[in-house]
Amino acid sequence: MFQTVMAELTIGFGKTIEIFVLTLLGALPLGLIISFGSMSKFKPLKAVVRFMIWVIRGTPLMLQLIVVYYGPGLIFGTNIWGIGNEGRFVAVLAAFIINYAFYFSEIYRGGIESIPKGQYEAGQVLGLTKRQIFFNVVLLQVIKRILPPMGNEIITLVKDTSLARVIAVYEVIWAGQNFIKSAGLIWPLFMTAVYYLAFTGLVQIVLGRIEKKLSYFN
Amino acid sequence: MSILEVKGFTKSFGDVKVLKGVDFSIEEGEVLAIIGPSGGGKTTLLRCINFLERADGGTLSINDKVIYDGSCPSISDAEIRENRLHLGMVFQQFNLFPQYTALENVTLAPKLSRKWPEDEILERAKDLLARVGLADKMNNYPCELSGGQQQRVAIARALAMQPDILCFDEPTSSLDPEITGEVLRVIKRLAEENTTMVVVTHEMGFAREVADKVIFIDGGVIAECGTPDEIFGNPKSERLRDFLGSIR
Ligand SMILES: Nc1ncnc2c1ncn2[C@@H]1O[C@H](COP(=O)(O)OP(=O)(O)OP(=O)(O)O)[C@@H](O)[C@H]1O
Ligand SMILES: [Mg+2]
Repeated sequence: MFQTVMAELTIGFGKTIEIFVLTLLGALPLGLIISFGSMSKFKPLKAVVRFMIWVIRGTPLMLQLIVVYYGPGLIFGTNIWGIGNEGRFVAVLAAFIINYAFYFSEIYRGGIESIPKGQYEAGQVLGLTKRQIFFNVVLLQVIKRILPPMGNEIITLVKDTSLARVIAVYEVIWAGQNFIKSAGLIWPLFMTAVYYLAFTGLVQIVLGRIEKKLSYFN
Repeated sequence: MSILEVKGFTKSFGDVKVLKGVDFSIEEGEVLAIIGPSGGGKTTLLRCINFLERADGGTLSINDKVIYDGSCPSISDAEIRENRLHLGMVFQQFNLFPQYTALENVTLAPKLSRKWPEDEILERAKDLLARVGLADKMNNYPCELSGGQQQRVAIARALAMQPDILCFDEPTSSLDPEITGEVLRVIKRLAEENTTMVVVTHEMGFAREVADKVIFIDGGVIAECGTPDEIFGNPKSERLRDFLGSIR
């Protein structure tokens, strides 16, 4: 029985990791782009982005998942996500990436705004372009500064993946809970905690390594 | 022919007129010292010369060619970038890039500019760091260097782009008194090598010794200008006498 449970949980956790990794891959760059929008000198763009940040951060991710999945169908009369498990998985990714990108964008903005003006000016007087100043001077300093708050969000993301089941994406908690109905067992559900702990532990180690790598400057 | 000529520079921040028409020029190889009371507009003038601020009015010419005209402000970023390379700037706060070593700080801009072959850039950077007395510190990060050493790296970094004119805004004001000397010595040495420089400073002894010309800025205008001997030995205006009296 133990092996059956573990095999099943591992399948579920595979999905969890998939959501986690793909969300990061999408939300990390998208968040940076959104942060540029939120700092834009073009007022209407800035206003729209700020409004979106307010909406996304001010409503539960669970609700966003439902809206993203069912919304297009209700509004346009077609399910844009495709059918079956795959469609639901894509919808989950879309909702997670949007949600986390907006959260990340605020962290990026805080980091970018914390870089002293003198860094930009030193780049400018040396004839660097805005792009070169951002990528060659500012970015690494921003990464160093945002690593702690970013780490918190990333750990939260690991746990938030369990919300995917709201629109019936099979992940590890669901896998554990199934055993209550099918075999009257409660411990498989508790066992899922071990998976989460192992994974968040790993994430923390990786973040710690990066932090240490960047500790050579301040 | 003046290497740098500023005519009628004006600059306001909101309703506050900070520069009210500043004119001066310097010749190649000269050192110009800018002195004056706090809030007089020295930093603003230097920032306008370096295009960190855009002057509202007036012109700036390099070798008799107008490269900035405040009356037609539609100048593009790319044009500014090209023109500002005539000028180098050393800040009061050094503003080194913390994630790069001393050597990388010096080579970054030349490398990104692709104006010179890489090995030439590297050789020149090492040479510049040796000239400011930091040959043995080139692989250190800014956080491992003292303020005086950081400022000397900043000077090497500015020189690496081979500007025609090097500007300093109170290069020793954020240093402990006992290490201002090492930075002033480097600037003096550059003066002896005929580097054209504009130096905003509160170090009157240094200005007197090194400058060819001194301008005294007060209330957004040049209240007096002349040779160091004229300015320090025989100040004409009341304001300059008061100023020199107040800092002695
Ligand atoms: N960005 C700005 N916005 C508004 N006012 C400014 C700005 N920069 C400078 N000023 C004002 O312009 C005036 C001149 O300032 P500036 O920094 O040029 O003086 P300074 O001669 O360099 O003084 P100090 O010796 O203290 O460095 C001051 O009254 C200052 O408050
Ligand atoms: Mg100043």
